[in-house]
Amino acid sequence: MQFFSGSSAVDISPSPAAPPGTATGLSGNNANMLYIFNRSGVCLLYREWHRPLRTLDASQDQKLMFGLLFSLRSFTAKMDPTSVDKGNLGVPLLPGQGCSFYSFRTNTYKLSFMESPSGIKLILITHPNTSDHQESLKHMYNLYVEYVVKNPLYVPGTPIKSELFNTNLDQYVKTLI
Amino acid sequence: MGREVAESCVDGVIIEMVSAYCKRFYGTKPELAARRIEAIGYQVGHQLIERYTMERPRFSDHLEAIKFICKDFWSELFKKQIDNLKTNHRGTFVLQDNRFQWLTHISIDPSSDNSEATEDPSVSMPENKAAEATSTHLYFPCGIIRGALSNLGIPCAVSADISNLPACSFVVRVKA
Repeated sequence: MQFFSGSSAVDISPSPAAPPGTATGLSGNNANMLYIFNRSGVCLLYREWHRPLRTLDASQDQKLMFGLLFSLRSFTAKMDPTSVDKGNLGVPLLPGQGCSFYSFRTNTYKLSFMESPSGIKLILITHPNTSDHQESLKHMYNLYVEYVVKNPLYVPGTPIKSELFNTNLDQYVKTLI
Repeated sequence: MGREVAESCVDGVIIEMVSAYCKRFYGTKPELAARRIEAIGYQVGHQLIERYTMERPRFSDHLEAIKFICKDFWSELFKKQIDNLKTNHRGTFVLQDNRFQWLTHISIDPSSDNSEATEDPSVSMPENKAAEATSTHLYFPCGIIRGALSNLGIPCAVSADISNLPACSFVVRVKA
């Protein structure tokens, strides 16, 4: 991928999350985890490639993640200085409304977010020195459409269990910087 | 001259047709659902071959007709040709497509065989169900081939074989 800057994850300062090369399982991966939620909060997919610390059990972790992004979207839309119509803070936002929240970064990880018009939310957690992931999230959404939505054996609204999708996703993530 | 439709719409309609016939109309009788889907394919193949052979002269023998199906007919339908054609010169033809377009998006659940015991009968269940579900999507193309050949004057029986996705073979047996 030529448009990602080449210097992002090569020089790494020591941090609690181990550098990508030492991940157990798939080495050379720069992404740590991926969540996919649908509009009603059902977690369709949770993949992890490198996660040294688990604090909550899986379903609580997913609910927390969904709630976090739900509130963050609402909050960032209400604080937008360029938008005219603010509305009330408690009203749930539709997928296209308000400004779109992209990512936040801490000293140990970076969380990138993308929401499709149909309400599918993709959340990618990576190493903090990586560049913007909007294009990669769009690519992953395309993979989702190809191998999950168009799969005749998939029931919409249920967790994704497609081998083709998992394989292609793993292959793509290996190429991420 | 003709109007155009997005390919994903056509794919979607076919998937929904198979699913509607198998689950809703003939939910308890899968063989009847298969026969209905194959009959729909027969009609479609019948009409399509009429359209695509409008300007051609009549075919000299069965092999020429099958070759037409493999090359021109298949490229009109799926934008590619059949990859491999085998025959025993006694009325049986095997058309193999290494990447059949309607099967490329089908994928089974990889973790369902972990939850079963390691005994053979229970492990083969999820794979059988996936194979069954996949084979219901092949009745339609089998019907298309059968309809096309019968309109060319070659009555036959067509069946499909999916030993390795996404490649699949269609076995055509000409009725003497």
